[in-house]
Amino acid sequence: MVTRSCLSLLLLLAAGCASTPERASSSGLAAPGFKPRALRAGETGVALQCSKIFAMDEHDHIFAPGTVLVRNGKIEYVGPRRAAPAGYEVHAFEQGWALPGMVDLHSHVQGTFDINDMVLPINAELRASPAYVPGNTSLDRARAAGVTTLLGIPGSGTSISGFGVLHKTKDTPLYDTAVIADPGAMKVAQSYNPERSADFGSTRAGLGWLLREANERAIAANEAGVVDPRLENLQKVHARELPVLIHCAGSDGVGKAVNMWKGEYDTRCVVSHGCFDAFKIAPYVVRMQVPMNHGPRTIDFRVSREGRFVGTAGEYLEAGARDFSLNTDAPVVPQEELFLQGTVSARYGADSYSMLRGLTIHPARSIGLGDRLGSLEPGKDADIGVFNGDPIDPRTRCELVLIDGVVEYSRTRDGQLF
Amino acid sequence: MNSLLLLGAALLGSVMPSLVAQETSGSKSSDAKTADAKKDEAKKADPEPKWFAVVGGDVHTGTGGLLRGATVLAKDGVIESVGYSTDLPEGTEVLSARGLQVYPGLVAISASLAVSQGSRFLAEDDLHMRCCVDFGKNGHLHEGPLDAELDLLLADQAGLVDAQSDLRDAYDPFSSSLLMTLAVGITSAEQSGGALKLKRGEIDGVVMRERFLSSFTWTSASSGKTQLREKFAAAARYLREKREWDVRKDKVKDLPEPSKKGIEQKILSVLDGSARAKFNANDRDDLLGIARLAQEFGFRPVIEGCVEGWIVAEELGRAGAYAIVYPRQRRDKDENLVRAGGSSIENAAILHAHGVQVAIGPASNGIDLGGITGRDLLHLTVDADFAVRGGMTDAAALAGITTVPARILGIDHRVGTLEKGKDCDVIVTDGDVLHYETLVQYTVVAGKIAYDKQKELLFAHIRPRTPGDGKTSNSSGDSAPASAESQPPQR
Amino acid sequence: MLLTTLLLSIPTPADPPLPSLYALRVGRAETIAHGTIEHAVVLIEAGKIVTVGQDLEVERGIPVIELPGATLLPGLVDCYSRLGLDSDGSSGFEPQAKASVELYPDQKIWAEILELGVTTLGLYPAGSGIPGQGFVVKPHGATREEMLLRDPSYLLVHMRSDPGSKKFLRDGLEKADDYDEKEKKNVEKWDKDQEKKGAKKDDKKEEKKEEAKSFDPSPPQDKAKKERKGYVPSEPDEKAKPFVELRQDKLRALCTLSKAADYLHLLDVLREETFEFDLRVFLRDDVDFHHVMDKFGEKKLRIAMDPRITLQPNTRRERSYAMELAAAGGKPVFVPRTDSINGLKDWLRHVGEVVGAGLDRQVALRAVTLEPAQLLGLGDRLGSLEPGKDANFVLYDGDPLEVSTRILAVILEGELVHGEIDQ
Repeated sequence: MVTRSCLSLLLLLAAGCASTPERASSSGLAAPGFKPRALRAGETGVALQCSKIFAMDEHDHIFAPGTVLVRNGKIEYVGPRRAAPAGYEVHAFEQGWALPGMVDLHSHVQGTFDINDMVLPINAELRASPAYVPGNTSLDRARAAGVTTLLGIPGSGTSISGFGVLHKTKDTPLYDTAVIADPGAMKVAQSYNPERSADFGSTRAGLGWLLREANERAIAANEAGVVDPRLENLQKVHARELPVLIHCAGSDGVGKAVNMWKGEYDTRCVVSHGCFDAFKIAPYVVRMQVPMNHGPRTIDFRVSREGRFVGTAGEYLEAGARDFSLNTDAPVVPQEELFLQGTVSARYGADSYSMLRGLTIHPARSIGLGDRLGSLEPGKDADIGVFNGDPIDPRTRCELVLIDGVVEYSRTRDGQLF
Repeated sequence: MNSLLLLGAALLGSVMPSLVAQETSGSKSSDAKTADAKKDEAKKADPEPKWFAVVGGDVHTGTGGLLRGATVLAKDGVIESVGYSTDLPEGTEVLSARGLQVYPGLVAISASLAVSQGSRFLAEDDLHMRCCVDFGKNGHLHEGPLDAELDLLLADQAGLVDAQSDLRDAYDPFSSSLLMTLAVGITSAEQSGGALKLKRGEIDGVVMRERFLSSFTWTSASSGKTQLREKFAAAARYLREKREWDVRKDKVKDLPEPSKKGIEQKILSVLDGSARAKFNANDRDDLLGIARLAQEFGFRPVIEGCVEGWIVAEELGRAGAYAIVYPRQRRDKDENLVRAGGSSIENAAILHAHGVQVAIGPASNGIDLGGITGRDLLHLTVDADFAVRGGMTDAAALAGITTVPARILGIDHRVGTLEKGKDCDVIVTDGDVLHYETLVQYTVVAGKIAYDKQKELLFAHIRPRTPGDGKTSNSSGDSAPASAESQPPQR
Repeated sequence: MLLTTLLLSIPTPADPPLPSLYALRVGRAETIAHGTIEHAVVLIEAGKIVTVGQDLEVERGIPVIELPGATLLPGLVDCYSRLGLDSDGSSGFEPQAKASVELYPDQKIWAEILELGVTTLGLYPAGSGIPGQGFVVKPHGATREEMLLRDPSYLLVHMRSDPGSKKFLRDGLEKADDYDEKEKKNVEKWDKDQEKKGAKKDDKKEEKKEEAKSFDPSPPQDKAKKERKGYVPSEPDEKAKPFVELRQDKLRALCTLSKAADYLHLLDVLREETFEFDLRVFLRDDVDFHHVMDKFGEKKLRIAMDPRITLQPNTRRERSYAMELAAAGGKPVFVPRTDSINGLKDWLRHVGEVVGAGLDRQVALRAVTLEPAQLLGLGDRLGSLEPGKDANFVLYDGDPLEVSTRILAVILEGELVHGEIDQ
């Protein structure tokens, strides 16, 4: 096991070199003037002693070995090894790689899976949250794999299917304690699914009109300074208060989506899927500065018909995609296998360190939570996964998961759930 | 790592030595014939032996040894030696594996028929010809109409399908699904209960074993279980009586031969070791039932699925069971049960630790080109990785996609490890075969290069091999493909 | 003088629209056998070609039809068609079945086919497996007998990589084996009987004399044959017969393939068989015949195929199998892409596309004339402009492979059957 992990480590470092993450910093990351101090009554503190820490911050700090200190659910220190202050709950790992909790922006496993209300094509007033069942087994396994934040969204059966809920994968029966934002983001399906058979919206033209008509009404309401109760949240999308995640695929669909939601309406949009031959217009997506949330298809073979297995993640990165993230579209790919989307993308040509970004800081930033999630930096939520090696090697086990500073999963304590 | 594997084997050996012996002798006799026939053929066609060697790679023999910078030498497709300071006979075709890793070819325990048959086309004139893609054993991945099925059906009805030649007569040694399978290092595959050697460009010698795995249904209904037990009992009784009769018939005049009436040949084959019984079962209770049946009648069951096997691993180990485990198979625990239940990522590891021979199967046995990746036959090693995640050693997981499936399929005397006398089915990789970034550089089947990454379109563009690490001595260089087909397109 | 097609409505041989002896002088003739001849003259007598040459002097008195702007091509031969036939065919093992029973002369389609320059049509039996034997017609004539050129032409074998179709062929060859075995015994018995008879008559001396008279260098087997004058071989049963005839070179086989593997399976069944066969391959995108192209070339096979450029499986790479086959030493034959009147209309345009992609022009022209004629066993009678062959011609107003080129006239066995000719 030791030799294997070393091999992975070397490979990972070698791969990482291309994007030059900073090897280590002597001082570590902490608020100015930070001094470790003992816990006071009512406070909680966790210290993680790890063999390697991926901060996934702007400077790509890697501390090996290193320590993460968590106080009252927030990170207070990430850096070289240091002793835990008095009162801290200490978790030490001989082989333990710490990574920010993984974030999936395209998930449907929150609960009851009745995710498509098909009667009307525009459902801007609907929310996914009523279908959310906290503590379901999909979430259990996801948590046990180091996935800590999900955007649970309605399906792609209609043009606007409603608003998703941003939540953590906490082991809690209580809805409120897990939710980050509800509504979290609007879900739009541009094409490849919302086509309505024998109804208005059976063609791209019809679908385009449906979206445009709803958007124009929301914009008009915003301009008039009134709130249309059926478009309240859509108005917020156009006021850039809420993000929008757009289901689209193929170079045709992605092009249309970027053009409409960024070019025309300048919303806080994230393009989701981007599968098949969509990578061919990656340069356009990059130029328009639209984050790409890629998956569940991560290779293209048939559509391009070049006889090659094209790893599409690598193609986006090569085109210069900045906030490039990966999704599962769970249950299409099981929620706990989010990391595997990085694994296979790395196998088919993307560099493995970029895949770590695509599982943590990039999705967090894409959905507007970059200041709170996605990296191990002082002041951020203490959502952390500790693995016994390279987090995207399927052989690696997840040992411990913190969410908001609480040990929500421990392999030794709970048994190996995944 | 390997001590555990050996321990497992030792345990099994001590539990049922007679059966093990029976099986090996049984499998050898039938295959010795084909091997001889093959040799005769080779003699007729080409009296000069063909030498082939993989030189300079780190050789993972699969028997526990890692020989760094060693040579695998093969004569007419059969390994002659593995080791150092090998004198290469004149005219040996040399594949340099310097700086690369050398493993036995992988054995896919569960693979769609598309692997060996490619797409099927109708025996019809051009006007009516339509194609049907991926006509797999699991059913219905059709892109076209059902004509191919109909075609087979017609042939079946007319009694035209010769059971003994099915696999060979439908083999497509040029299909792209075969090439893709080879490209991930799979050199042997289970097909319809038999085992095929995935040769490219030829159809001779592809069938290693036909219909060795015999499927049995284990029903949850108690009447079905009772019936199956009674059938086994009747067959066992018949075999006992037959043995007795064989001994006594010369002494006692007109001793009636025991009647075979009502005895299932399928069960006789299982009991005399010429076939292996395969069950598809996942529930704890079913697994226990199969274990009991197997112990009572003295055969080693193959249990596919085996999801709750981790709960009854000890019993399965005692029964000498083989398990075909899909490590990512998920099943939530029935919340009404107090006892343990449901799937566990640790399943393969726990079974292995209790002496069960664990073969690892792919999440899906076809080839998925739809874009969602990491869960089909082309990612067999990923599923082995998930077994490691659950606590298996790398070595045991690798055995789960080489030696153990070879044993289950009755072809372990030919494939699964790199040893003298075994077929020269070798893969050369650019790293640890279980690592996700490792790609197969060369696949050698029966001493012939069947896949060269840089010469095929599929993966040539991914981390291209730099000239120097790995090339054949008769080729001028890796970057010069032999034909237009092999040349990777400009990006 | 204007010879019009008005006469066509009563195309009786007794009233030929063209004289029995005449010459055609054209701008260019594609002889197929000897390349292109500019300013060519073809002399025709009684429906046969007498001579072909450049600027030949034509004897006074022989009518000369002057067509300086025309290009002359031997009549086109489509060797794999079901036009004009309508049964669903049989599926399975029906080698004795004859497609010619379906032939029905009184149909409009024959004239339509002829008008498109196709003077010979190889028709095949419908069905799968080994559905029977094909035949050859000229699409012209009032009776079956007038239309029929050859029956049977080939035994059609649909070979696919599956146990069923391999079994059909194996069964057929086994039947032929059984027959051969039986014949061997019959011959032995006959020989014995003869010996007995001979012993009685004691005419051995006579035989010896005969032997001495004519020295016979042929091997003993042939000699044995000769000695068996009067021996009548038994009749094989109807399903065995075509396979016996294949071995005796009385019948050829046409095997169809859908992918490269099918060829290996065909060879796998044939093993030691030495009889000749041609192939028909169906070209769609994603076919993979390049894997066996060298094997095709080795045997110099004649292969009927669609005139099209295909894409290599899973890629956009173009492959021209006709070109590859020609380069490997085989003989391409072109069959219209679709077996319909429209398919025939587009036929040469499609051939032109393959030529545009690099196929040698002469090879292409041969592939719609002489090679298909050979495939149908009529190579000595059709398919090229050579003395003694049938005077079947198509006259074009330009390059036959060009899109804009039109057919001026079609001549079948010396008769004008379509078009107008200014004289």
